[in-house]
Amino acid sequence: MIELDNLTKTFEGFTAVDSLKLRIETGEFFGLLGPNGAGKTTTIGMLSTLLLPTSGEIRIDGELLTRKRQDIKRKVSVITQEYSMRQDMDMDEIMEYQGRLYFMPVKQIRARTEELFEFAGLTDHRRKTVRKLSGGMKRKLMVCRALLTGPRILLLDEPTAGMDAISRRQMWNLLRQLNEQGLTILLTTHYIEEAQSLCSRVALMNGGRLNEIDTPAHLIRKLGAYAVDEMHTDGIHTRYFHERSQAIDYLSQVQGQVSLRDTTLEDVFVEQIGKRLS
Amino acid sequence: MGIITILWEKWREFIRDFSRITLAAMIAPLMYLVVFGWGIRTTMNGQPYLYFLIPGVVSLTTMNGSFNAIAQNLNVQRLYEKAFDQVIISPTPLWQFIAGQIIAGGLRGLYAGGIILRLVLPIEPGLTFNLLSVLILFLNGTVFASIGIVVSFLAKNHADVPRFSNYFIMPMAYLCNTFFSTDNIPRGVREVIAALPLSQTSRMVRSISTGEPAGLQGIVILLVYLTVFTTVGLYFVYKKKNL
Repeated sequence: MIELDNLTKTFEGFTAVDSLKLRIETGEFFGLLGPNGAGKTTTIGMLSTLLLPTSGEIRIDGELLTRKRQDIKRKVSVITQEYSMRQDMDMDEIMEYQGRLYFMPVKQIRARTEELFEFAGLTDHRRKTVRKLSGGMKRKLMVCRALLTGPRILLLDEPTAGMDAISRRQMWNLLRQLNEQGLTILLTTHYIEEAQSLCSRVALMNGGRLNEIDTPAHLIRKLGAYAVDEMHTDGIHTRYFHERSQAIDYLSQVQGQVSLRDTTLEDVFVEQIGKRLS
Repeated sequence: MGIITILWEKWREFIRDFSRITLAAMIAPLMYLVVFGWGIRTTMNGQPYLYFLIPGVVSLTTMNGSFNAIAQNLNVQRLYEKAFDQVIISPTPLWQFIAGQIIAGGLRGLYAGGIILRLVLPIEPGLTFNLLSVLILFLNGTVFASIGIVVSFLAKNHADVPRFSNYFIMPMAYLCNTFFSTDNIPRGVREVIAALPLSQTSRMVRSISTGEPAGLQGIVILLVYLTVFTTVGLYFVYKKKNL
């Protein structure tokens, strides 16, 4: 279980995260959504102890998280937004270094590396140094590295950024499997469909504050499960309806180019945050 | 255990870049010895100038070897590769990371100094280098490795480490009892220079090399520097809110 209590982070007067209160249950797949600068990466930074909070607390399974808490850090793996790896190491070295940092026996590191490389399709490239890997391979290597240590909590900051559509779907399947095995996952992403597909609950974040926390389905229902898009000269105007029949009635009254579709989490995001931004 | 991990990491780096590290460690000191020692042949206090020069050059080589092995590398890992993030995130105690870097830096300095000794001692067999010299050179290396850690944490971009080298390390290399005796420097400045770690190392190693008493208060001074810079490094990794 992850608990954030009044978590605040300021950088030279600018408040990146403002009094964040959040509780993520064990085994939950939780999504943190927000525009650029919403404070998502800063929140992950504090959860991974890369950044220390200006005020407030983080508790993992009831224990206060600090840079000194080895026992808590052992439970957590992080996939950062940037490729955080030594460029001159090959894949095997990256894995061994990670395993050693987590005090794993070398034999266990090597056996687990074999499994993970096989699973991720990296075995043929294991002798390549990081600087010679494609973006997608680096992402896969970061996933393998994060899973090597058998974490109970996985923090993912934009894990599929830069991945092609197929790799992204593979990653989604992997994350679903891991979550089904009991891993608690906190995901930040720009891909709203990713959050809708994967997360059991999402939080909408803007300007360092949480706007709303709920299940994707409930957020969509609250807005209206059916959306009618009307094409106008100044762009698309969308109206939301709770009942399909209401949407069809409206559709029949409107002239011009219109279409009916299911509301998505992206609509919720645009309505709640996009309109405020514009 | 965490110290072993860092030493393993630095060992892999050493193996990978062995020829580059070895050549880089040799070129400048050999030039100093060739130009000032064998080229401009002179004497100092009735002794060949090389007897004065070799201990100083070996000391400055350990300084450069250690500082460069840690400062630039850690700076790149922190600002460019972000590999340092994984260390912070991991359960490895951060004091062990610092200790590992300092020991590895000390060993890299010792390796660099050892190459020069290996090359010059067969030519100038009159000088003595014993276990105490090795210990002092290692200690000198650890001091500059700890300075390297602090500089890498203070650096805001990739150019900051070379800049620090230009402003502090290079002047020390020339002034700290390496190429000439600090006795001729005006008072006030002389005391400041004498208190610098490289001056102490050069003085002690030179005394041992000519069979004179080393004056081991220099070891205490080196230990004070090591303690101060290690403490600052620990402050950065444990207390600094934005690394």
